[in-house]
Amino acid sequence: MTASLVASRATRVFASGAGVFDLDLELVHGQILALVGLNGAGKSTLMRVLLGMLRTDRGEVRLDGHLLSDAPTRAWARVGHLVEYPLAYPELSARRNLELNARLRGVVDIEASVGRIVTELSLEQYASRRVRALSLGNKQRVGLAAALQHDPSIIVLDEPTNSLDPAGVIRLRESLLRRAGDGAVVLVSSHHLDEVARIADRIVVMNAGRLIGELDPATPEIERAFFESVRVDGEKAAE
Amino acid sequence: MKAAIWAEAVKLAGSTVGRVGSIAIVIGISVLSGSMLLAVHSDDPQLLAKLGPVASGDWTGFLLGAAQITGAGGLGGFAVVLAWMFGREFGDGTITGLFALPVQRSTIALAKLVVYGTWTVAMSVLLGLALMLVGTIAGLGGVSEDNWATLARQVALGVMSAAITLPVALAATLSRSVLGGVSVAIGLVVVAQVSVIAGLGGWMPLAAPALWAVSNGTEVSPIQLLLVLPFGGASALATSLAWQRIQLDS
Repeated sequence: MTASLVASRATRVFASGAGVFDLDLELVHGQILALVGLNGAGKSTLMRVLLGMLRTDRGEVRLDGHLLSDAPTRAWARVGHLVEYPLAYPELSARRNLELNARLRGVVDIEASVGRIVTELSLEQYASRRVRALSLGNKQRVGLAAALQHDPSIIVLDEPTNSLDPAGVIRLRESLLRRAGDGAVVLVSSHHLDEVARIADRIVVMNAGRLIGELDPATPEIERAFFESVRVDGEKAAE
Repeated sequence: MKAAIWAEAVKLAGSTVGRVGSIAIVIGISVLSGSMLLAVHSDDPQLLAKLGPVASGDWTGFLLGAAQITGAGGLGGFAVVLAWMFGREFGDGTITGLFALPVQRSTIALAKLVVYGTWTVAMSVLLGLALMLVGTIAGLGGVSEDNWATLARQVALGVMSAAITLPVALAATLSRSVLGGVSVAIGLVVVAQVSVIAGLGGWMPLAAPALWAVSNGTEVSPIQLLLVLPFGGASALATSLAWQRIQLDS
């Protein structure tokens, strides 16, 4: 079965008036969709709405055709995510964290799952260390490993390259490309336009809580194109 | 549920808070109770008066003294661990990883409570054994049938003290912090003490277990004691619902 995650006119407004507004977004299997925007544009809020961390005030989000509130456990078992903080308990070793995560996600062969992802993200030498003793970059790798170890069909990663060293960025890029090639739905947010342009099939621009357009990943000087779209949107909003 | 219980047990077993809490409850209370036995040999009448039942220097006095300490100190120790179990998910940011899982958050909350309950039973039994050891080392002699009953009440007091801390889980959840839970724990201890002074102890689930234990079961009726169950159960249910409904909007 093809996994899907679809937001329809999804709106969530905070008391401050900020939020996300009337978002229509369909994540397509086999595609990597990158979400780009300035700080405060609403990328993390959108991801929280898509994952059920925030309920919508209006509109809806459906996972495999089910409203998030009614989505069955088998649908959630196919989701992998890393939003803001890695699911990594500081008092436990990286390996123990991955075992814990695998159990919570209903993985059958836990040892194989942990072994595979440790190798895939080059965590071998850190696997037995407590997470609290790891560098920020390696903590991020553990969080990414937790998000990916169960071979999810829907992958949602909020600024996944944060704190990663170049080797980690390359590993992640290869991993996401392979997973999308295998049919997974991938949504990533990032500030690194050059980086996302290398892997994304679509780049969606967010500004002030709205999706304001798309950029072609092959666009030369993509940063300039991004800032131009944000500037034009800002001017429209000011009128 | 099994996966969530396993996860929570691993987290508690691997944590400094869990280890320090275990030591504080088992060793701390038994050593403190033992040190009160040492004070029995003092010639200071004021000090002896402060010792209360412990001044008798026998098993009964020793165990009643331990019950007094458990009533306040044990409750506090259990509550801190419980506040950490729930509040740390917010403080460490790991709560985001507990969304979008095939395990419901209400199940995770219940798993935390199951692990907490199991741990508190283990600590209560270990504390009873440690008190036996301390009393024996202190030369209190053989244990009478009455003393066994007092010791059984001591173990039950430990378990009930843990049950009455359950609002702390809800407080840590709603405040999204360990500190919020600990603050409520302090409040629970104060309310328990005030209700005893006001003569309401028997009908107040927060105070009834300690009052029952230190009065050798005479001042609290079984019905009054049973109120601990709906009190703890309602708190557990509210916590589970809060976890089910929670949103990451702050």
